[in-house]
This record gives sequence, C-alpha cells and structure tokens, in this order.
Amino acid sequence: MAGEQQQPETELVLLDFWVSPFGQRCRIALAEKGLPYEYSEQDLLGAKSDLLLRSNPVHKKVPVLLHAGRPVCESLAILAYLDEAFPDAAGPALLPSAADPYARARARFWAAYSDRVYEAGTRLWKLKGGEARAKLQARAEIVEVLGNLDAELGEKEFFGGEVFGLVDVALVPFVPWLPSYERYGEFSVEETAPRLAAWARRCAERESVARSLHPPEKVDEFITLLKKVYGIE
Amino acid sequence: MASSENNAVPPAAAAQPLKLFGSWASSYTHRVQLALRLKGLEFEYAEEDLGSKSEELLRCNPVYKKVPVLVHAGRALPESVVILQYLDDAWPETRPLLPADAFDRATARFWCHFADDKLGPAVGAVFASTGEGQEAAVRQVHENLALIEAELRDGAFKGRRFFGGDEVGLLDVVLGCGSYWLAVFEEVTGVRLVDADAFPLFHAWLRAFEALDEVRDTIPAVDRLLDYARGVRHMLLSAGAAAASAPAAADAPTAARRLTSPSTYDKMAGPAAGQGRPAGDLQ
Repeated sequence: MAGEQQQPETELVLLDFWVSPFGQRCRIALAEKGLPYEYSEQDLLGAKSDLLLRSNPVHKKVPVLLHAGRPVCESLAILAYLDEAFPDAAGPALLPSAADPYARARARFWAAYSDRVYEAGTRLWKLKGGEARAKLQARAEIVEVLGNLDAELGEKEFFGGEVFGLVDVALVPFVPWLPSYERYGEFSVEETAPRLAAWARRCAERESVARSLHPPEKVDEFITLLKKVYGIE
Repeated sequence: MASSENNAVPPAAAAQPLKLFGSWASSYTHRVQLALRLKGLEFEYAEEDLGSKSEELLRCNPVYKKVPVLVHAGRALPESVVILQYLDDAWPETRPLLPADAFDRATARFWCHFADDKLGPAVGAVFASTGEGQEAAVRQVHENLALIEAELRDGAFKGRRFFGGDEVGLLDVVLGCGSYWLAVFEEVTGVRLVDADAFPLFHAWLRAFEALDEVRDTIPAVDRLLDYARGVRHMLLSAGAAAASAPAAADAPTAARRLTSPSTYDKMAGPAAGQGRPAGDLQ
C-alpha cells in the first residue's frame, strides 16, 4: 500500500521511525483499512527533519499522519482519526459502533492503558544495575499490567471480540518488545498472561501485523543501542 | 433498539440513573460534573474519602482505584476523558463536547492529552517543590502555556472565544477544570504562573470559562481550595524539605508522591503524573 499513486487532496503521509511501536499502530491500521500512504522514515537518532519539527512542534515526535498536508499527532488520536475520516475504508471500524457507547468507552480505556506496557517495560531496561528496588517495582507493574490485559481479553479471540479492533492495534506493536522485557524483568508472559500470549500468536498471523512488526531480535538490538546512547550499564 | 433517529442508546438505557463517584477537590471529578451539567443530565453524586476508598469504588474501578467513576445502567466508566466521550456517544441529542469534524476532533484529543501529560504534571511539580526545583517547574509551566497561547493566537483555536468555538467543548472542560489551581497555587506558593501580559488569550479564555453558570456551580469556592492547598503544601514541605527541593523538576512529582498519601496526590496531579513517561522520540 505504501507508495501507491495518491490524489494530492487525499494524500496520506506517515512520519515514522522503523522500530516505533506507536508508528506501527498506524501502519497496521492503514494496512487493515487498505489505505495507501507514503511512509517517511525519520532520523530520530540524528537531526530531526524540518517536516517533522513543523508537523509536531509541540512534541517533535513520531508518528505524525499528514492528511492533505495537515498533521495529526499521537498514535491513538491517529487511529480514531482514521476511523472517522475514512468511514468507507476497508474492514470494520477500529472502534465499536456508535450503537454501543459502553463498548466504545471500554475500547478507549484499554487502548490508552496499553501504553503502560511500554512505560513499565522501558523503565525495566533503563534502570542501572544498582537500582534493585526500582527494578522490582517496574517488574511488579508490568506483571500487573499484563495480568489486567489478560483478564480484559478473557476468552475472546481479540479485544474487539471477533473484530481486530482499537485495543488489538494499540497493543500488538509491544509484542516484539516483550521478550526483552521478560529478560530484563525476569518474568514470563506465558506464565503471567497466558491468554495474552496466545492472542499475540494469533495476531502475528495477520498480514498487516506480520508486515509491520520487526522480530524481537531486532528490537532487542535497538534496546541495546539505546542503552549505549543513554550510558546505561 | 429504539426506532428514533438517535438510537445510540435505547431510551430505556439513556433514561437510567447516573451515579458519579468523585472527590470534591479533584479536577478530574469536576470535569465530569461540569459535562453532565452542560448536557443537562441529572446525576447522583457520591463523595469518596480518598484516604479510605469505598468497596463500591474499588469494585467499579479495580484497575486504577481512582475517581471519577461514572456508573450508568449498571456499568462503570473510569477515566475522565473516556467518560466525557461516553457522554457524547450515549446522549447524542445533547450539546456535543467534541466537534463534528474528524481533524478538529483529533486536535481536541491531542491537546487534552497535552493537558494531562504535560501541563498538569508541570503545575503539580511547581506546587510540590521549592527553590531551584520550583524555578525549573515554573519555566516548564510557562513553556506549556506558551504553546497553548500560540494555538489561540495563530493556530487551531485562532479567533475563538472558547477552545470549542462559540461554546465550550471537551478541551475547555479538560483544561478549565484544573486551571483554577493556577490561581490557587500562585496564592499559596507566591509564584506567578498565569501572567495576563504573557498569556493574554489564555487569561481571557480562563476568565470567560470561569464566568459560566455551569462552571460556577461546579468549581468549589476558592476559599476551600486555598485552605486545602495550604494544607497539602505544608504537609509536602514539612514532611521532607530535602526531597521537596530536588533540583530536577522531574523529581518533584515523585517526591510529592512519596510525601503525600496517594489520595492527596491523586487530587493534585492526576493519573499521569509521577509515572515518568520515558524520554524518547516515540509516542
């Protein structure tokens, strides 16, 4: 889908960074919706491009979705935007229909909650060797977060029920990061959240997910690189 | 399902009672109270003692154990911004909080997140610190306010009376219920946060917001807020002067969390503060 001919007035450009799970949320949603777009890799470890700085002056972060030149920032806002701006796109909407406001509220809640996997996981690998207590806290947090997500998923195929929906798209990009978190935090997703582990395997079979996510080894290499950059032992 | 046009919630469900669990000094609670009033929706209010939370609250919000929680038709909804959007969805015939246009909605959501992720914690940090740490926190607040001022002056909200346009919307409710702390903290700490000269449009918006009847009915009297803030400030500073004046502003919310009970901190700085969102370019 990336690189297909687009009409200027509907042109979609995604400013992104290859390993960004937040960017991957958008890539997966765009693929699920069959929306053509231009992928624009941003050099985040070097100097940020003028386009990125102009498009997201507040945070200077990816992902940014440009639609006919207008920027939409923040991955979850982009997901909602894709549903709302392209109601005729392929596949079911990411959010449950307006006929079920409670289901929509639940989806928004858990999609936002999924960010905590990344927050807690990042604390795990950012901690220096001597910070044992902080590490235990971060480990306890990620275990709790994964447990809550496991409970919310329950026996459903996806968080969206039969639909691969908002929460699924929001959470799945963190899956390749989990093996690294497991190692740094000394816990097991299979033990902590077995239904979530099975869900992750199911999601990996979807084309949009398989094409958008990188293998855990690549993610782990990136974490190692970042640790060097931040000077963390 | 109902045969009426707006059948998002069948009339039976829409007519079912609303119960809000909240805390009188919580700006997050005020958001929901204000939204309900703006929409003309009746509700029962249950004040929670955050130092001793009720079984019912903990059952309704097992994940975060926080206020506000709105219970409607037997279902519990936590998280103020989620609740506000639910109100739009469930009562589409009432005045909408979110704009109709998809891009405008994305803009409103972006700035709501900014309010909770950046501005709120920065204001909390000012309150929880002294000395150099506080100076850094004040600079952070000013930077954040400058960004909002710029949007009012030249950007997405140019020429508007409120962020929602001629009438208040989601972002007004989110920013407004919380901005009253600015004046309170200024009074209690002696620090200048919202300079009318530096942020004329923000200042004007806040005055217009606070003049609305529904807002006056929702925001507690300033005397109560001042008393409350003085009490917390005293507790923060006397419990650990060293920690409270930590040089890095980022430490202040953590220090505040250590020094105060979780309940007090919840009221001040909200769910996102103190979690330390990882530095980095990914969001």
